[in-house]
Amino acid sequence: MMKYLSLIIILAGAYLAVPLQFGGNDYVIGIVVSALTIAGIAVAWAMLGNLGGMISFGHSAFFGVGAYGSALLAMNAGLPVFPSILAGGVIAGVVSILTMPTLRLRGPYFALAMLAFAEIFRILAIEMRWLTNGSGGLLSIPRLPTVFGFDFGSRLGGYFVVLTLVLLTVFVYWLIRNRPEGLALRAMHDSEDATLVVGVNATRLKAAVLVVSAFLTGIMGAFNAHYINFLEPDYAFNGSWTTLAIVAAIFGGYKTLWGPVAGALIVYLVDQFVFKAIMPSGHQLILGGLLAAIVIFSPSGLLPWLASRFRKEAGDAAHP
Amino acid sequence: MFDLVAQSVFSGLLAGAYYALIALGLALVFGTMRIINLAHGELVLLAGYIAYTAESRFGLDPLAALPAAIIIVALTSVIIYLLLTRIRVDREINSLILTFGIAIMLTNGILMIWSADIRSTTSGWYLDSIIIGDTLFAMNTEILFAVIGVLVVGAVWWWLSKSWYGRALRAVSSNRDAAKLMGIDPRTTEILSFAVAGLLASIAGIALYSGKVIEPSLGHSLTIKAFIITVLAGLGSVPGVLIGAVLIGVAESLTATLWSSALQGLVSMLLFLIVLLVMPSGLFGRTRRRG
Repeated sequence: MMKYLSLIIILAGAYLAVPLQFGGNDYVIGIVVSALTIAGIAVAWAMLGNLGGMISFGHSAFFGVGAYGSALLAMNAGLPVFPSILAGGVIAGVVSILTMPTLRLRGPYFALAMLAFAEIFRILAIEMRWLTNGSGGLLSIPRLPTVFGFDFGSRLGGYFVVLTLVLLTVFVYWLIRNRPEGLALRAMHDSEDATLVVGVNATRLKAAVLVVSAFLTGIMGAFNAHYINFLEPDYAFNGSWTTLAIVAAIFGGYKTLWGPVAGALIVYLVDQFVFKAIMPSGHQLILGGLLAAIVIFSPSGLLPWLASRFRKEAGDAAHP
Repeated sequence: MFDLVAQSVFSGLLAGAYYALIALGLALVFGTMRIINLAHGELVLLAGYIAYTAESRFGLDPLAALPAAIIIVALTSVIIYLLLTRIRVDREINSLILTFGIAIMLTNGILMIWSADIRSTTSGWYLDSIIIGDTLFAMNTEILFAVIGVLVVGAVWWWLSKSWYGRALRAVSSNRDAAKLMGIDPRTTEILSFAVAGLLASIAGIALYSGKVIEPSLGHSLTIKAFIITVLAGLGSVPGVLIGAVLIGVAESLTATLWSSALQGLVSMLLFLIVLLVMPSGLFGRTRRRG
């Protein structure tokens, strides 16, 4: 009951309070949209990390492919923007099939092989000028449309779209996690051999999670392309899409459902509004420090740490 | 055409010996402790910036900055080790994330201290070119650090296989408990291995500064290059590092000459993925399961 109540309060806050409070301030809304974009990537990344047990350093590849895929479909094929965002995600999901040989690799090798893929995609986006216009980038990408008189192309409109996308991403994650396959995947971390014995096809499940994670990351990239209306390879395939998502997910707790979202909001908003004001250059120093500190002091992340603190205190109060 | 290819292979060989310097520290720590130090490239870059400060502030030759660079970088490297020992669970992945965080800190620290401007050496000798055998061109710095690179690889190989501490390190890496019983303190040897990795990064950083341009965001790509070479070499093979580095150097150089310089990065990434997926133990490594 508590759970549903808090969910309703959060949803009401996100859909009503934030727009009412900051709706007129494009600067604040812009930064919140960026934070939510990173939250979306962080959830998709954490899904692969938690369910698949695989830490990827190459999610910027899927973000960039989704962004370019959707932008090009909307510009060259005249696809309406919302279907084209969906198509961008599908393209990213299909492209992730190319990276599947890396699923055979263990932990760090997988992480760095994905990084190599991200680098390859970035170079290809620069070199395939006939398709992507190379480093010149894509200009005037169609913006989000006006539907029923509401302009989704505005900053506030973008906020509602990205908020909904992030919530849908969390919902998809939740659905998969609660399916038998999700349980099998999580059991796989403890012992891959044991799950093989009970008849789980580990590689096929991992591959499926990779495709879904790439699809969801691609959707965020596609949204971003139509939101900022401009793309270039060094922006769309920038490693910081991965870096920020990793910091956010690890900080919030990548094994929890809401940890990555909470982590992205806290890390990005505090970074932009506080650290950036204190030290204009090099403010990401603190993000690196946070990441290092969380790994050392609370490897499961902030939300589990808070939860255990809360439980402890509640326990202390009950038994003084 | 022949001249062009010969020049390209020659440049590639020199670049390879220099790449070996960059990769050696990462390969040493990876080979002995199975830890990938994602901040290694930043350590190399830090040494480069120390050389820049020595040159621009005090008018010293970049090479004269080596002692200062070694002290600072080796100390930083040991601090990284001490932080890594605090990891309690899931050591493999968490050490990756921890060093990733440290790399972000170092990059931004460098950015704050030295600003985002591009720096390069001002002493002319390093950048002067010499001609070998009438046709092959090279900068003095390329020749110098190629020679140093080969010597350093030889020295590290000797250290690991012949000296007491080197052998102790290998003993700890193959069986920690047995090494303890033989009277080896694992902690001391591991600290030593990180300090040596810092020393190697310092030499690489001076080579970087005296031959190329440096900027704060460079560290990441140096780490990637070092890791690619380490994978090509295979776990625990020191001569393999030199051969892997030369392979990358020549492949990049030939790509630039025969195809396009923009595709250099593509070739080394593809080489990396192919070796990783097809020959999991690298070109020269011991057989070990990665999948």
